[in-house]
Amino acid sequence: MNIIVTIIISLAMFGIGLIGVLSRRNALVFFLAIELMLNAANLLFVGFSKQWGNQIGLVWVFFILVVAAAEAAVGLAIIINLFRTKKVVDVDQYDSLRG
Amino acid sequence: MIYAITLGLSFPLLGFLYLMLSSHFTSRLKAGQIACATVFLSFLCFVGLVSAHFNSSEHYKTIKLFPWMHLGSIHSDISLHVDELSLLMALIITGVGFLIHVYSIGYMDHEKDATRYFACLNFFIFAMLLLVMSGSLIALFFGWEAVGLASYLLIGFWYHKDKAAAAATKAFVVNRIGDLGLLLGIIFTFYLFGTDNIIEISTRALTEYPIGTPVMTVLTLLYFWGATGKSAQIPLHTWLPDAMEGPTPVSALIHAATMVTAGVYLVVRLHPIFISAPFTLQVVSVIGGVTALFAALCGLGQSDLKRVLAYSTVSQLGLMFLACGAGAFYAAMFHLTTHAFIKALLFLSAGNVVHMLRGKTEMAEMGALANKLPWTQWLFLLGVLALAGIPPFAAFFSKDLILEEEYLSGFDILYYVGLAASVLTGIYLTRAYWLTFRGASHLSPDDEAHVHEAPKVMIFPVVVLGLLAILGGFLGFSFGSLPILETFLAKADVRITHEELISSEFFTPETIMAIIGAILGIAATSWIYYAYADKLTRPWRIFSNAFYFDACYSALIVRPLERLSSLFTNCVEPKFFEGSIHWAGQAAQLASAELQRVQSGQIRSYVAWMIAGASLLLIYFVS
Repeated sequence: MNIIVTIIISLAMFGIGLIGVLSRRNALVFFLAIELMLNAANLLFVGFSKQWGNQIGLVWVFFILVVAAAEAAVGLAIIINLFRTKKVVDVDQYDSLRG
Repeated sequence: MIYAITLGLSFPLLGFLYLMLSSHFTSRLKAGQIACATVFLSFLCFVGLVSAHFNSSEHYKTIKLFPWMHLGSIHSDISLHVDELSLLMALIITGVGFLIHVYSIGYMDHEKDATRYFACLNFFIFAMLLLVMSGSLIALFFGWEAVGLASYLLIGFWYHKDKAAAAATKAFVVNRIGDLGLLLGIIFTFYLFGTDNIIEISTRALTEYPIGTPVMTVLTLLYFWGATGKSAQIPLHTWLPDAMEGPTPVSALIHAATMVTAGVYLVVRLHPIFISAPFTLQVVSVIGGVTALFAALCGLGQSDLKRVLAYSTVSQLGLMFLACGAGAFYAAMFHLTTHAFIKALLFLSAGNVVHMLRGKTEMAEMGALANKLPWTQWLFLLGVLALAGIPPFAAFFSKDLILEEEYLSGFDILYYVGLAASVLTGIYLTRAYWLTFRGASHLSPDDEAHVHEAPKVMIFPVVVLGLLAILGGFLGFSFGSLPILETFLAKADVRITHEELISSEFFTPETIMAIIGAILGIAATSWIYYAYADKLTRPWRIFSNAFYFDACYSALIVRPLERLSSLFTNCVEPKFFEGSIHWAGQAAQLASAELQRVQSGQIRSYVAWMIAGASLLLIYFVS
């Protein structure tokens, strides 16, 4: 498969994630969009790794997956706690740190 | 010999330290006794030194205490130098100082804070001893400043009185102006000679710089500037009459033994340098002569007993500088000595009056005290006659010597100025005597019942001073041969300048003129106050206001300065300094008010900012 296709799909995933982060207010979807952006990067790593026959990209993917998993655990815990205190999952309501 | 010198110097210091540290548990009488004892021990040390001096060939002693500064070509050691001049001064300081200390026990008998008083008195003695015994200008300057500090503490002893506090501040500030001159002189000395050792400078000045070199003139003028401050010469004399706000024994100490003699001592100590600057000597003469006459005229117009004596001191100091200017340093020292006795005598007997009237010093509230204070009045009269120059009392010989030296030096005008000042001395002192002790009584009924002769502790020191005032003149006078003081001081190179004064006949026309002038002055004043006391009007304003010097200083310096500082406090400070800080704060607040909008707490806006930043970075790195 042509690398171009991989890049386009990856960019599309990243763009969808970005738009999701900026536009969605639901904390879970917001979080999902972040994961999407991470995986867009992963896809690009895998694609380039295959293109150049270099395994370093694959190693990076594993690192990113681990970090994403850890982040998901911490992030979900934060969201649950926020929900417990604020009783909402709307990220725009989480503005206690306003200056 | 070294031990005697250091002990003599440190006894008063130890007394000061002890009294200061133990002020809470030392009684008034005990404090007085300790203070007297330290000064007396110090006096004994110097008496011992003088007697040892006559038996040994070595006529001076220099003790190097410690090196102060060695920088490149500049060398300065703190050292003591004791020669005949220092010894004479030390004897006057501790001797007269001791009598004043004893007197103070009686004078301060109602004072709560007497321990502080005696501590300061001891410190004064120490400071003055350091001044006259130091061999380096830096140590001399230290003593000089310490004397200023001690005078500040003592003039302002009754600090709760506004006038006393103001007088103390005035004395301190005016003295500082003079001290600046001395300090500049010392710095200039370092520049010229690379050392501040007085003896080294004195010997090198004459060999390295020919007479009349401009740098020497500048240097000596700076020293003389310092001397005018301490010794209350025009234009820095204004602090001395105001210093009368302090306790009377303090006035006696300042005027007789310490402080004001420092300027004369400085000039005499550095006389080899002054000799090499004839112009400065002329300045010294003129300032001295003008001050002598000016202060004598002011003395005529004062209504305050102590201020009469204060102006009399200024006038006599003027005569000493007149002598210095004529090169007659020995005559100046002789007059300093006799004046110390007589002025202490006058001040302490005036102190008896003031003490008995519970602090009143206005002569308008006195009068006819002769019967109530018999001893005091005789002693005061003795002081009047002695200072007026009636033979055979002390000041006759010294004043006569000054006038003779002046006459022989060829400054005719200054001779007549000195003669006039000396005749006026008799007149204003006689006036003070009549207003205080004779004439009609102006006492309040309360005082009338209360006044009695002073206690023995206040009479005894005055009697001793009276004896000194009678006999002191013979220190510097003897028929045919060299007088004892002259032989003593000649070893320190302070001697009679005109040979004919030693050998010539005693009653020269000038002497006779001075005696007749003094007698006529006293007689005429007495007669006026005896016969026409009720017809006398107030003294001329120009005299009682001391030629408006204070008013001029107030208008020219004090008030503009006050106006300038009020401009600064009311305008520049709040608007400029405080305002600039205020506006800086305002600007920070405004800026942060705008910036804190960014800090919205909205996580999505943060993400947007982050993406914007990341995009900008991307664009920057790609392009």
